[in-house]
Amino acid sequence: MHIPDGFLTTPVWATLDAIAIPAVAWTARRAQSELESPDDRRIPLLGVMGAFVFAAQMINFPVGLGTSGHLVGGTLLAITLGPAAAVVVMTAILILQALIFQDGGLVVLGANVLNMAVVGVLAGYLPYRLAGRGKARSAAIFLGGFCSVAASASLALAELLVSGVPMARQLLWFSAGLFLVSGVIEGAITAAATRAIEGMNPLWIREARPARPVTIAVAVLGAAGLLAAGIAVASSAPDALQALLPGSKNAGIPEGRLTKIVLGLAAMILLYAACVIAGRRIARQRSA
Amino acid sequence: MRSAARETWIVERWSRGSSPLHSLDARAKLAALAVYLLAIASTSAWTQAAVAGYAVILSAALAASRLPVPALLARAALILPFSATFALITWLSGDATRALALVEKSFLSGLAVLVVIAATPLTDLARALEAFRVPRSLVLVIQFLYRYLFVVADQAHRMRMAAACRQGIRRNARPRFHAAAGAVGVLFARSWERADGIYRAMAARGFHGTFPALAPTRFRTVDGVFLCGFALAALAVRLML
Repeated sequence: MHIPDGFLTTPVWATLDAIAIPAVAWTARRAQSELESPDDRRIPLLGVMGAFVFAAQMINFPVGLGTSGHLVGGTLLAITLGPAAAVVVMTAILILQALIFQDGGLVVLGANVLNMAVVGVLAGYLPYRLAGRGKARSAAIFLGGFCSVAASASLALAELLVSGVPMARQLLWFSAGLFLVSGVIEGAITAAATRAIEGMNPLWIREARPARPVTIAVAVLGAAGLLAAGIAVASSAPDALQALLPGSKNAGIPEGRLTKIVLGLAAMILLYAACVIAGRRIARQRSA
Repeated sequence: MRSAARETWIVERWSRGSSPLHSLDARAKLAALAVYLLAIASTSAWTQAAVAGYAVILSAALAASRLPVPALLARAALILPFSATFALITWLSGDATRALALVEKSFLSGLAVLVVIAATPLTDLARALEAFRVPRSLVLVIQFLYRYLFVVADQAHRMRMAAACRQGIRRNARPRFHAAAGAVGVLFARSWERADGIYRAMAARGFHGTFPALAPTRFRTVDGVFLCGFALAALAVRLML
């Protein structure tokens, strides 16, 4: 979902650009320092793997009912090259798509990079990082593909909504369903492709290390980003949010924006705490 | 897939032409493009007079580029399916002016990017990006990606043809899904090995992380005049219309 220029309002694209530029600069430096040798041995590898993602997106996967899907690739790159390098490669792909294929705008490049390269890759890598060792491994890879696509698509939709592109309730439901389906397709393709790659050379898939504080920091950042997006959507399109919460009208919750924000915050914090606790327990089990 | 590669090749061929716009410094062109795009993106009260103003500025650049106008317009229209969908939704919910603005803004911005890209070879563009402090590793990755895009895409195409010849038309989706996953795996393996070979070949020829420039680029007076004129025109439209 590449957003073209002209769809986001000035505060929205300016904020997202201001977040994306330091994020990419930091990851690029990190990817550079992650090079195994002091020379630029991995630079050609990153470029060619970007070309690989472009080409792999042209291979059709039949998904039933006569339709076909294709790989998006954020998760696959993250578990083969590592998350920092994957962010750099996906950013390079998005820049080339905006420049040469007229896919996505330049002013809103920050938004697209944040949705697909930063959040898409990190959301895809996090399940693998947390549960990529042991029995749940292929489930984690599947979940990574799912989260990657679902997170970047819903972020893009939230940005459009905040910018005031009007959307009817039925349409929101429809796109939510669409995101779920495309997430499942990406998860299945990523898992199958990973198995095929691993069959040829297991060293191509990076081993998931046990969770470290960095992972938790990333999870906090991700949760904070989602929270911000959620609040923004809630304040700009309360009707849409209400439509997404079944039964909220009869639940006896008092109206008012502040209450809604506090409730959303509380729910997010609870959900986040549950995720952290589960993640820590899984990590401990793996390392034990 | 084939057609996508060919269309990209057209942009590459356009960028090697010669015209007043082609001969300008890439940094000036990129900066002018940035001002133009930001002016469009920050216009909140979108009037048809502003559209006309931006279109006039862009057509001046288009005339200076000596590129085939119908082909450029057709290529820029690749944006329209996406923006038209959202414009239709907006229009149906009763905001016709906003719907029109969505289509016009996205089309003008896309066309402006295309004109600059079609008049600037990618090597110059990459050097300009480096001059604007884009991280060096990112610029290098972009250059490698662009150079090997066609090679890997051609390989994918050949593999798909070969697979179609071998397996015929199967109705059952499950084995075809697994065959496609295998194809992605093989493509991955070949790309990885190709990257290794590329690195060794380049290291043997003395590559140490930068592409040397054949000719030094100078920011001439013409470039400055172009940048100022273009930026002032865009700002004038932004502030007055």
